[in-house]
Amino acid sequence: MAKKNRNVGIIGIGQTEYSSHKEHQNQAEMVNEAVRYALEDANITLDDIDCVVHGNMELFEMVFQPDMWHSLGSGAYGKDQFRITTGGTTGASLVCAADNLVASGMYDVVMAIGMEKLQEGHTTGGITNMADPLWFRHLQTGALTATTATMMMEEFGEERAKKAAMKYRILMDKHACLNPRAHRRFGLEYDQADDLMNTSPQLVGELRLIHMCSQSDGACVMILASEKKAKKMCKTPVWIRDHITVHREETFNNFGIEMPEMTHHYAARKLFERNGIKDPVEYFDVFEMYDPSAWWGLDWAREFLLLKDDEHIKLLEDGEFDLDGKLPINPSGGVTASNPIGATAMLRPAEAAMQLRGDAGPQQIKKKVKHALASGFGGTLWSVLMMLEKDLDWQEVENG
Amino acid sequence: MAEYFGTAVEDIFNTMEERFLSEGTLDVDVTIGYNISGEGGGNWKVTIKEGTLKVEDVDGEVTDCTAILNANAETFVGVTLGKLDAGEAFSSGNIKVDGDLTVLVAVLPKAFKPFKPVIKASAIVESVEERFRPEKAEGVDIKIGYDLSGDGGGQWTVVVKDQTCTLKEVLDDDCTVIMRMEAQVFVDLNQGKLDGGTAFSSGQVKVDGDIGAAGQSASLFEKYVAEGAAEEEGEELISLKCVPSINQRYATGPTMGKWFDGLKEKKFFASKCPQCGRTLVPPREICAQCRVRCNEFVEIGPDATVTLIDVVYYASPDPLTGKIRETPYTALFMVLDGVSRDESFAHDLNPKDIDRIKPGMKVRPVWAEKRTGSYKDLLYFEIAD
Repeated sequence: MAKKNRNVGIIGIGQTEYSSHKEHQNQAEMVNEAVRYALEDANITLDDIDCVVHGNMELFEMVFQPDMWHSLGSGAYGKDQFRITTGGTTGASLVCAADNLVASGMYDVVMAIGMEKLQEGHTTGGITNMADPLWFRHLQTGALTATTATMMMEEFGEERAKKAAMKYRILMDKHACLNPRAHRRFGLEYDQADDLMNTSPQLVGELRLIHMCSQSDGACVMILASEKKAKKMCKTPVWIRDHITVHREETFNNFGIEMPEMTHHYAARKLFERNGIKDPVEYFDVFEMYDPSAWWGLDWAREFLLLKDDEHIKLLEDGEFDLDGKLPINPSGGVTASNPIGATAMLRPAEAAMQLRGDAGPQQIKKKVKHALASGFGGTLWSVLMMLEKDLDWQEVENG
Repeated sequence: MAEYFGTAVEDIFNTMEERFLSEGTLDVDVTIGYNISGEGGGNWKVTIKEGTLKVEDVDGEVTDCTAILNANAETFVGVTLGKLDAGEAFSSGNIKVDGDLTVLVAVLPKAFKPFKPVIKASAIVESVEERFRPEKAEGVDIKIGYDLSGDGGGQWTVVVKDQTCTLKEVLDDDCTVIMRMEAQVFVDLNQGKLDGGTAFSSGQVKVDGDIGAAGQSASLFEKYVAEGAAEEEGEELISLKCVPSINQRYATGPTMGKWFDGLKEKKFFASKCPQCGRTLVPPREICAQCRVRCNEFVEIGPDATVTLIDVVYYASPDPLTGKIRETPYTALFMVLDGVSRDESFAHDLNPKDIDRIKPGMKVRPVWAEKRTGSYKDLLYFEIAD
């Protein structure tokens, strides 16, 4: 297990609204909006921040070293600052890095900033550049693929798989409709499922426009502090218990006759093992998942929660992923609702932390929320998985 | 229904509820009567009490109110829309107020958001010829069909050709693209209340035919501004536009060099891990799992077995050329003969096989006539039968 020198608490969270355009402000101004909200939330000033970690996807806006320009909004001038840009996982990597920086004892208070203004560039044009330039890049379609849809229809039958993916999508929209910051809030109803799953324009195979994530503008900021400072500065700090980052080879070689263990499954298996979590569905009270499409969201629930066969589809069908279910998924509405990519993976622990604090707003889960799980995703199935706790009372597992 | 300045008297009373500002009237307790004469007129009684609103359509002249406004329909609508000067209407006697005049001046502005005329889909479509921008239509030859359902809907065809625009009140069979939606959705889109992408994604707008033409059509027309709608003053949003283009070249290194060299001879090479024995395609310098060098190469293929098929409809740019790809095209995942079962290879499928391809099928490579050691040497795979 990753050894922490000291415990780390989340003491401030700030988010802009997420929307398709933010023509009224430039990048630095948008960053500043979220920074202000986070400082306000933590009830501190920039003077209290020791270090800033900043991240986005440079290829999307084509600004190299955007953290320099954004210093106008982040207040990083004269402070230590690191830029972290790990693709889709950026937002989660930022929180992991901030946690590591504080846990190590190097800094007491660290501010993590994730941002993206997708309207200022071309998302798919930028994302296709992730592939190895020597081979396979000519095949790149960004994050668009129907491989999961095809495999799920094969495994569960076309009708059940399509219905389940639509149910997941509409559930996410219902959550998004509650979240005042969510970008896309369609107001979908379950009786539209059959119509949408057959008429929504096809992007790739059975991956249709309705299933796919949005392209959003927005910024998210989280402030992390050492246990001592967190307890002094904040009434309801949320504790970062553990996190894991799993990368694999950057190639298209995942879809042979035998499939390798998926990174999400590997991450969950290792993380739960070393924390003594036997039954994640039972243990966690909320799961904020990076779900770039409805197909992936549903399929990955099985991987992250170490479920077997059709257990994940049953849980969905039985309403157990609803806000009042056994393990609510994405009260925020998830990535199909809001997707400012460099911030997207930070929205997950941000929402999870607010759920633990109990002040998430209209999308707050009604029953007690004590243990939260948050995931990030990027590249060719890179995975970040993080555990958050309301109370500083978990049992350390030795040598897990 | 009689309309003045494009608006009926009823519209103003029917929208009062949605325009009502409850928090502005917490300390208010008044009733206001309206006796509107002339065609389209009527009698209404509006009660505002401690943050609540009641609008009643009553029979006969209204009496017994804190204030009663008497006017003819045209004056009432004109003043409400700001088309006629209110002061002048009072002075000239076109509007008469019985009772407490100050109620109208003090209460109404904080009780209601300003009335905005109801915009009809037909008004937007029917003004299309006036809004046409010939300078944007050079070389454009399209027929755009509108099939708008519900209240205020209808069917139209807008023909743009030779830099002219004509509107027909029928839906032609040979439209380049037909857009189908509720009339209200059309109005909201036009007025910027609804985002086009959102409406399209959520299925509120259905597009038959050439989606590209639908997107292009927006730039051919000036934005519709409703009659009577005052242009809202705002600051101009200035943005800078640029299209960067960067030339790049990547060194292949000896391992990928072996692969490209093989393509020239119509051969595929994999590298092989000396520890776990798995083959890597295209060849990689090390086995990432065992972390050892892979210096041994084996010839593999050239035929393969299909594992997964991705039919792509979304027209994305080819990252190597920047050109938008033609759709649909098919990305094929397959296992080349003689490689490890968990090692897939991906490439394009011959477009002629798109309807026949199935997992488990054998495919074979089709090579370019002239091969130079590039990804272009391998055109695509096709069904081997």
